[in-house]
Amino acid sequence: MKSKVGFTETLTEQKRISTAFIALREYGIYFALAFLVLIFSIVTPNFAAMKNLILILLQVSVTGIISIGMLFVILSAGIDLSVGSILAVAGMISGVYAQQDPSPTTVLMALGIPIAIGLLCGLFNGALVSWGKIPALIVTLGTMYAYRGYVIWYRVNPIYNLQPWYRVIGQEKIGPIPIPVVFLLVVVIVASIILNLTRFGRHVYAVGGNQEAARAAGINVNFVKLGVYTISGLLCGLAGLVFTARLGAAQAISGTGYELIAIASVVVGGASLFGGRGTVGKTMVGALIIQVLQSGLVMLNVPSPIQQIVIGMIIIGAVGLDTVMRKEI
Amino acid sequence: MENKTTPIVRMQNISKRFGGVQAVNHVDLDISQGEVHGLVGENGAGKSTLMRVLAGFYPDYEGEVSIRGQLERLSSPKQAMGMGIAMVHQELSLVPELTVAENIFLGREQKSRVPGFIDRKRAEVLAEQLLSELEADISSTEKIAYLSVAKQQLVEIAKGISMRSEVLILDEPTSSLTAPEIKDLFKIIGTLKERGTAIVYISHKLSEVFEIADRITVLRDGIKVETKAASQWDESSLVRAMVGRELASLFSSSHSYAPGEAVLEVKGLTRLPHFEDVTFKVYKGEVLGIYGLVGAGRTDLAESIFGLTASDSGELYIDGSPVRIRSPRDAIADGIALVPEDRRTLGLISSLDARKNLSLPILRLLSSWGFVKQKEELELAKESIQTLEIRVPAIKALVSTLSGGNQQKVVLGKWLNTDPEILILDDPTKGIDVGAKAEIRRIVDNLAGEGKAVILISSELPEILGMSDRVLVMREGRIVGEYDRDMCSDEILGALAAGISIGNLNGLNGWQE
Repeated sequence: MKSKVGFTETLTEQKRISTAFIALREYGIYFALAFLVLIFSIVTPNFAAMKNLILILLQVSVTGIISIGMLFVILSAGIDLSVGSILAVAGMISGVYAQQDPSPTTVLMALGIPIAIGLLCGLFNGALVSWGKIPALIVTLGTMYAYRGYVIWYRVNPIYNLQPWYRVIGQEKIGPIPIPVVFLLVVVIVASIILNLTRFGRHVYAVGGNQEAARAAGINVNFVKLGVYTISGLLCGLAGLVFTARLGAAQAISGTGYELIAIASVVVGGASLFGGRGTVGKTMVGALIIQVLQSGLVMLNVPSPIQQIVIGMIIIGAVGLDTVMRKEI
Repeated sequence: MENKTTPIVRMQNISKRFGGVQAVNHVDLDISQGEVHGLVGENGAGKSTLMRVLAGFYPDYEGEVSIRGQLERLSSPKQAMGMGIAMVHQELSLVPELTVAENIFLGREQKSRVPGFIDRKRAEVLAEQLLSELEADISSTEKIAYLSVAKQQLVEIAKGISMRSEVLILDEPTSSLTAPEIKDLFKIIGTLKERGTAIVYISHKLSEVFEIADRITVLRDGIKVETKAASQWDESSLVRAMVGRELASLFSSSHSYAPGEAVLEVKGLTRLPHFEDVTFKVYKGEVLGIYGLVGAGRTDLAESIFGLTASDSGELYIDGSPVRIRSPRDAIADGIALVPEDRRTLGLISSLDARKNLSLPILRLLSSWGFVKQKEELELAKESIQTLEIRVPAIKALVSTLSGGNQQKVVLGKWLNTDPEILILDDPTKGIDVGAKAEIRRIVDNLAGEGKAVILISSELPEILGMSDRVLVMREGRIVGEYDRDMCSDEILGALAAGISIGNLNGLNGWQE
């Protein structure tokens, strides 16, 4: 008897309706993706081919990894505009080592350096946001320019002669699955674990949900902020490695505009730009919706400017619908 | 009120639902010219919703509203205002970066002779007039952002009055006003009433409603319980109507007062301009009340002790040894917990569910290798929900969907989970319903009985007097008096807090509870 205290047991008709509504609101995005895939499968015969679906996953791998980093930052009520520039810096420096014959040192440098560089770039962003108390938008806007400027100054010309051992990372497969997709899956799983099961993950949601209340609960808010920008930077470093290996070239202009794709993926996935709300799964769905649209429209021979218009409208529509559904209850 | 003519407002069979929640359920209400109509009920009883229907905020209501005998469909605030209905909201709705005058005439700007321009001077003169009627010491050209919350509330009231409306709805107008300001407000309400304005007065403070209302309507769970002349209600019948059951006692202090050694000692704590040279001790097993009006520095003092804001100087001792508290983390480690005055900004993370809020300050204890032990966390949450009788629709329901009283219990539960030796409660029953108030007071009483040191900050005198073993009075940032429970009365404390000498109590008696 006593154990029932506090729980409402009756399930009225209204409540059942609202439960269905909540389900639609919470999982609607998955249906939207399934619907898109279905539509494109009907109108373009080759769309649903396993080969094409794997290709879509391959195409989403780099921006997907960046989007997961962006999710951490946005969950904490921040923003990271420097992701594309970090990708370029990490990719370029990695490319320098990837020109050389494989030795334990060069392999370690080519693989380890980009991740370390990404981590440091993110750490710098995080330090300025947390202890510097400078708004994230300003800090990362500034470092977006600065990191990009650095990489252009460092190597203005692309590096093309990357060694085959390096290209494996971007171009080979494990079984049927391309290695970049494997990287993406690992990142998705690890990020889900961090956000759902660890104390740090909980703190990210708490800081984004209500920074003052989080501080009052004894959470080290600065550490959490430092952490999310560092994670974002680290994942950009990894993305830079994958991107360069896949392309087979290191370029100073790599990753330009990726910050907007990443933000779009996160918000189409239902996260709030004010922080505290969003999941890894839905962010991936958000990234996939954008990629599926792009691929499908290409296969339908829709001109590229029209593709952009459609994708832009879908972003507004998805977030608009989400806002309306949230107001209902 | 012998008003035989048709009432100015007649609401019939009004219903309004939000999603699955029936906020107002087939309510009838008449409002007559020149009456003050008290509207009372627990939190979530539907008072504000009912009045927001009248003010045109919810065009999708069911039922009929007649204004001056004419059936009307209320579809927007602008339309309602056109019909002479104005509402002063509980949540302040002022624009911080605009001036007082600009806010008062927002959307109804005084037009200049040049088309498209506004007459700023005239707006300022009119605003000054209104504010002086309220005897408010506020300049009409000051930005809202620089005003205290109490003054903002006065501006909000001035805005409502400026509409010269025939029906003025005041939703919890005194929640952050000081005693003299409340007195001025009541004077104005009296004047408006003589002019024939109908006033709907929504309040938690029953003593205020008794003081000012001609008729009182009680709502409970969205349903109207009864409307009667104020003289036909008394405090206990009103409370019974509101909560639907007899309350054994509203203020229970049953723990025996046997103070142990001093747990917390505050010496010369100063943070200008908020408080200065504050010195006191709290003992094991006692409830130390700190009474003062809003703005006396009570909240600032609590926040400094808890490490939310740094103090300029002063020392803290816990169990006799000096401690330095630079952040809430230090405070928690030293066994201090603070249930803050403003639960929405400092207490809760409304995007998380009750379970995650309840475990937040002790997540470290609930995790190993950085991973949260999900099962133990769930057990802890269930335990808190049970012992504090928190009513949640589901354990995963977001705290933003809970009622004020249950939200406050979540905040209290979260801090009790840290097992503090020193518990600071800053206005813990503010803005929550009578039933939840009594439950929270009972919990606090038990804590003192268990030997915890409790600091209870409140601006409700009956609460301070009913709960505390010892009372400190704060005024203008200083401790101005200390009383043992048996030695203090509401009159002495009230006068001390307001800065009136004890011999000059006449104006104070009626309304200071």
